[in-house]
Amino acid sequence: MNHAKTFTAITLAGLLAASLSATAANMNDFTKAEADAKAAIDAAAAANYEWRDSEKMLKEAGKAAKAGDFDKAVKLANKAKRQGDLAVAQAKAQKDVKGPH
Amino acid sequence: MKKIAVTFTTLCTLAVLMLGCASNPAEKDLNDFRDYYSKRFPDTPTNDFINGVYSIDKGSRDQWESLEEFPPYEIIIEKGEKLFNTPFKNGKTYASCFSVPVDSIKSSYPYFDKKRKEVITLELALNDCRKANDEEPLKYKTGAITHLGAYLAFQGRGKTVNVTIDSSKESLEWYNRGKQHFYAKRGQLNMSCADCHYYNAGNRIRADILSPALGHTTHFPVYRNKWATDGDGMGTLHRRYGGCNKQVRAKPFEAQSEEYRALEYFHTYMSNGLTLNGPGVRK
Repeated sequence: MNHAKTFTAITLAGLLAASLSATAANMNDFTKAEADAKAAIDAAAAANYEWRDSEKMLKEAGKAAKAGDFDKAVKLANKAKRQGDLAVAQAKAQKDVKGPH
Repeated sequence: MKKIAVTFTTLCTLAVLMLGCASNPAEKDLNDFRDYYSKRFPDTPTNDFINGVYSIDKGSRDQWESLEEFPPYEIIIEKGEKLFNTPFKNGKTYASCFSVPVDSIKSSYPYFDKKRKEVITLELALNDCRKANDEEPLKYKTGAITHLGAYLAFQGRGKTVNVTIDSSKESLEWYNRGKQHFYAKRGQLNMSCADCHYYNAGNRIRADILSPALGHTTHFPVYRNKWATDGDGMGTLHRRYGGCNKQVRAKPFEAQSEEYRALEYFHTYMSNGLTLNGPGVRK
C-alpha cells in the first residue's frame, strides 16, 4: 500500500516537473523566438508584403519579456513569426497575379 | 516553293507588326475594365462613375448631393488658391514650375517621365517645385498639399483624364506594377483592391456599399468626415491607399512611394476619358 502511494507521488511529481519544463519559457527562449520573428518580418518587408500588426506583436512581446512574462513573450513572438512566414508565402502566391483580363 | 515561303514569311511579319501596333496591353485592359463595369452597372452612364459610390446607389447619392450644396472643401480651395499664388522666399510662385495653364495642371498628372524613368504625380511635382525653390517639402497625405491639390483639382474640373502608357519597357513596368498591386491579395485578410472595388463593387461591406474602381481617381483630394476628427478632413489619394491597405491588415506603403505611384498610374489610366471633378466629399 505504501509502495503504491510512493509510486503515485513520484509519478505526479514527475508529471508536474515535465509540464512545468514544457511551459515555462525563459529569456533564452524569448531571445530566439524574437530573432526568428524579426527574420520572418524582415523577409516579408523585403517582399513588400509585410502585414499590419506583425511589428506591433513583436513590440508587445518585448514588453512582456521586460515584465518577466516569458510565456506570453514567446507566444507573441511566435505569432509574429507566423505572420511573417504567411506574408512571405502570400507574396510568392500573388507574384504573378495579373487580374482577370 | 521559295516564293510561297517568302510570301508566308512576309505575311507573318506583317501580322505580327499589325498585332504589335494594336496590342498595347494597357489599352486592352482599359477596354475590358470598362466593359466589366458597364455590364455590372448597366444603368450607370460611363461618365457618372466619376461620382464614385454615388453613381450606383440613389440613397447615398441624395445625401451626398445635399452635402455638395455647401461643400466642406470650399474653404480648402480658397486656402489652396492663396498658397498657390503666394510667392516663395525667392519671389517665384508654384506657377513658375508648370508649363501649362493652371486649369490644365491637374489633368497633366500622373505621367511617366522618360528622363527620370519614373511616374510623376501632382503631389510629387508640387514638392519638386518647392525643393527647386529652396522651400521645405510638404507632408504628402494631409494639410497644405491637399489644399493646393484641391485648388488645382477645382481649376481642372471639366477636363478629362488622359494618362499615357507609352510602349516603352519602363512605362509598362510601372503600369504593370500598379496593376499587380490592384489585383494581388495582401494583408492578414488576404484581400486585394480588386476584391472590394472590382469583383464586389456595389455589394455591402458592413454598412457601406463598395464603390467601383472606375472613376475613383477623378475626385481627389477628398474630404471625409472620418478624417475630420483629427484634421481638416482632407486627404490625398495616397492617404486613401494607405487606409485601404490597413483595412486588409497589410502594412501600408509611404505616400508617394514607388508602389503607390505605380498604383495611381494604373488606377488613373483606367479612368481615361472620364471628367475630372475634384475635390470631392466621400464617406
